[in-house]
Amino acid sequence: MSAQPAISVKAPILLIEDEPSVIAFLRAALERRGYAVVHASSGEEGLKQLLLGQYAGVISDIRMPGAVNGAEVHEWIRKNRPELRSRVILISGDTANSETQAFLAQSGTPCIEKPFRVQQLIAVVEKTFGRP
Amino acid sequence: MPKDGAKTGRLQSKAPSRPDMKAHSAAAVAERNADELMSLAVEAAQSRHLAHFLEQFAQRSVRMLEADWGGVAVYQGRETEFYGIPGKLGPAFEPAEKWMLANAREIRDEIEARTLPKEIAGGLSSPEKPATAVFVRIAASDKEKLGMMCLFRKQKTLRGEEKRLLRALASHAALSLENFRRFSQLEKSKRQWVEDIDAISDYIVVHDRTWRIVRTNRSLASYLGVPPVALVGEAMNSLRQIAETGTDLPCPFCRDTQLAREEYVATSAERIFLISTSRTGVPDDDSRTIHVLKDITDRRKAERQYRELFDSIQEGLFFATPEGRFLDVNDAMVRMLGYGSREELLRADVSPHLYPVPEAREKFLRALAERGVLRNYEETLRRKDGTLLHTLQNISAVRDARGHIVQIRGLMLDVTEQKSFQAQLQRERDFNQKILNTTQSMILVLDTAGLISYANRRCYEAGYQESELIGHRLVDWVEASHREDFHGALETTAHGQQVENLELRARRSDGSMGHFSISLSPMRDEQNAVNSVVVVMTDITDAVLLQAKLAHSEKMATIGRLVSGVAHEVNNPLAAILGFTDLLLENPEVPLSAQDDLKIILQETQRTKDIVQDLLSFARQRPVQRELMQVHQVLRQTIKLRSYDFASHGVEVTEEFEEDLPSALGDLQQMQQVFLNILNNAYDAVQETGRRGRIKIQTREQGGMIEVSVSDNGTGIADPQRIFDPFYTTKQPGKGTGLGLSICYGIVRAHGGEIQCWNNEGGAGSTFVVRIPVATESTQAAAAAKEAGR
Repeated sequence: MSAQPAISVKAPILLIEDEPSVIAFLRAALERRGYAVVHASSGEEGLKQLLLGQYAGVISDIRMPGAVNGAEVHEWIRKNRPELRSRVILISGDTANSETQAFLAQSGTPCIEKPFRVQQLIAVVEKTFGRP
Repeated sequence: MPKDGAKTGRLQSKAPSRPDMKAHSAAAVAERNADELMSLAVEAAQSRHLAHFLEQFAQRSVRMLEADWGGVAVYQGRETEFYGIPGKLGPAFEPAEKWMLANAREIRDEIEARTLPKEIAGGLSSPEKPATAVFVRIAASDKEKLGMMCLFRKQKTLRGEEKRLLRALASHAALSLENFRRFSQLEKSKRQWVEDIDAISDYIVVHDRTWRIVRTNRSLASYLGVPPVALVGEAMNSLRQIAETGTDLPCPFCRDTQLAREEYVATSAERIFLISTSRTGVPDDDSRTIHVLKDITDRRKAERQYRELFDSIQEGLFFATPEGRFLDVNDAMVRMLGYGSREELLRADVSPHLYPVPEAREKFLRALAERGVLRNYEETLRRKDGTLLHTLQNISAVRDARGHIVQIRGLMLDVTEQKSFQAQLQRERDFNQKILNTTQSMILVLDTAGLISYANRRCYEAGYQESELIGHRLVDWVEASHREDFHGALETTAHGQQVENLELRARRSDGSMGHFSISLSPMRDEQNAVNSVVVVMTDITDAVLLQAKLAHSEKMATIGRLVSGVAHEVNNPLAAILGFTDLLLENPEVPLSAQDDLKIILQETQRTKDIVQDLLSFARQRPVQRELMQVHQVLRQTIKLRSYDFASHGVEVTEEFEEDLPSALGDLQQMQQVFLNILNNAYDAVQETGRRGRIKIQTREQGGMIEVSVSDNGTGIADPQRIFDPFYTTKQPGKGTGLGLSICYGIVRAHGGEIQCWNNEGGAGSTFVVRIPVATESTQAAAAAKEAGR
């Protein structure tokens, strides 16, 4: 996969994650690298944010409480915001689920498995969204 | 031989002696002789006693022939009676008689004169001394010699006149003797007839037409306690006490006087008589009626008793012709055959209905003709209503003089009920036998000592030999640790209680141990005492194993879900810890001393992450990369990874690979991980013992599965049941997470296979077995299609 052009580096990254400690860590890590971060704490909230604004990319947890999970967020983006389709990074705490596995294998979407190092995260983010 | 000489001798002469007869003239003699002959004829007719007549006859003959003495010998068959003139001979009588009788038998002529021997003549007291004995034969009209007359006289020569006279006398004597004989025969026969009649025990009475008794026999008279003559002339009515026929006639024994013969039974209060009556002569003055009364009381009683027995007996009795027609039957027989009456059954047309199988009847007749008697002969008859009657008969044949069977006599038992009971019993027995033979359970019967006395077919099908079953103790099969339980169950059963589903391990016929479910039931004898035990044994080894496997896989699935959940929950905080530690380490404001601590946090977080990763690997159902895989190749690659360690630590690895092992479909990497894990375990186990380690790897194909077994001679496994549980480890802390075999378990299951382990029987170490399915055409095609679709 080639690096994405930094077309909207000014735009913030939409972070969809329900776990506060993980949100805190991700926000800290990304902001320190110069990325703007907008946060949504569930899939539904994430979709609302997507409707409201423009984003440099989306980082979403796969498994979340509520009606919309990471895979569905990805699906929504594929249908409604195709320009964002290649700017999605998924985070998984549980790749044991065979559905998740199938989804990941089929979509080719980059996925970072929890727990991960900051360097891992930044490497994937820079590769997918470009530098800020 | 004089039979009664003394008596004869005593007879007194009534006729006067005429010693002077010689003085008479010839004419006078002739006249006197004529007189004598006439008198003789008269005497003959009148005389009643033979002796008296013959004495007179001898006297006259002596007088007429101028003899001194005379006598007559009378022949009665072989015997001779002698009648002589008594007195005259004196003491010479006996020798004279003897001589005369001896000579008389020799005489052949009609008249013969013999010289009298001197000793006889000398003994005679007569003054004229006779010298001659004149013998005259007395013959009947049919020339039969009736007797001989003998006269002693002086002159030997007989004049012609004298001869004629002698002949006349002889024929007179013959006539008289014949008459006497006839008369005495008649008398005798009459006397005998009366004696014969009297000897008859039946009562005989004869009466005339005036109803007066003419004659009775002694039996009747003695029955009434009177002499027979006392009854003669009495009225017949006086015999009414004996018995009566019930008519108004003056004779109690007459019924119909018009009949020449009558026969009927008459009874009195005590006796029963069969009265046979004959009427003689024309029914006029002289007609007589003869009643013969036969006392048949005893016979009647016997007959009645016989009949009562015949009819009251519960068994059927019958008399029949050889053709099968009944001559007489008893009530029971009528009842058995379902007929309304004896008469109905005795009808000739009954027999074709009676014998449903004519051939059986012929067979029966042949057997009877051969043996004469048939005991417990089974015959099926048809009742009047058509239903079948099963009988058991005892038959004897009555034969005529030529040996032909003329009658069949028999006793018949109704065994229909027994027969149907027997049939039912047979059916039940067959049914039970079928169950016993087809059931998949082993059924055994033990005696009270616990010895096997019966084993059903299943036992033999299971491979046990009769020689190791019958007479042996069942408990010997039972695993030692379970014997007490089995004994307890036997004890319970001996007290009459049932024991159900006792589960214990017992030896199979091939020597292996199996799980059996055993039920014991007591069997009782007639006294209700338990005399044997029925044991039903079912081999439930497969079911037990399957259940254990199910329980295990369920447990593993539960653990998998739990682990997955835990891992996920742990991952979030772990992600924060790791992330913030990284951020802190990046922060230049953090002092160096704190950085070292942060690195420890980082390191331990990393370790925690690894543990969680392992947990997730176990729980993860990552799709297996299905590609054709040569198991031998995978094994050899895996062994190669550890070969340096094995060689340097003196662990001997042997390979017993089956040739031409088919391919499997699977994930090479994952399977290598499985084998490596098992080899590592084996290596660690043999290392711990300190002895020279041996690891044997075998492969084979069995039942569509490729089986890889890895045996070692190491320490063995403390708890084979828990070895695949996550975090179960016997290794020292830090040496292993206890997840290795759990992950192997997950991988093998994902391949559609199974993994098992156990401690080696009778030896050190343990064995791991991995089974994965052989790649079939269809599974290969499916894998190829999936590959293409990717």
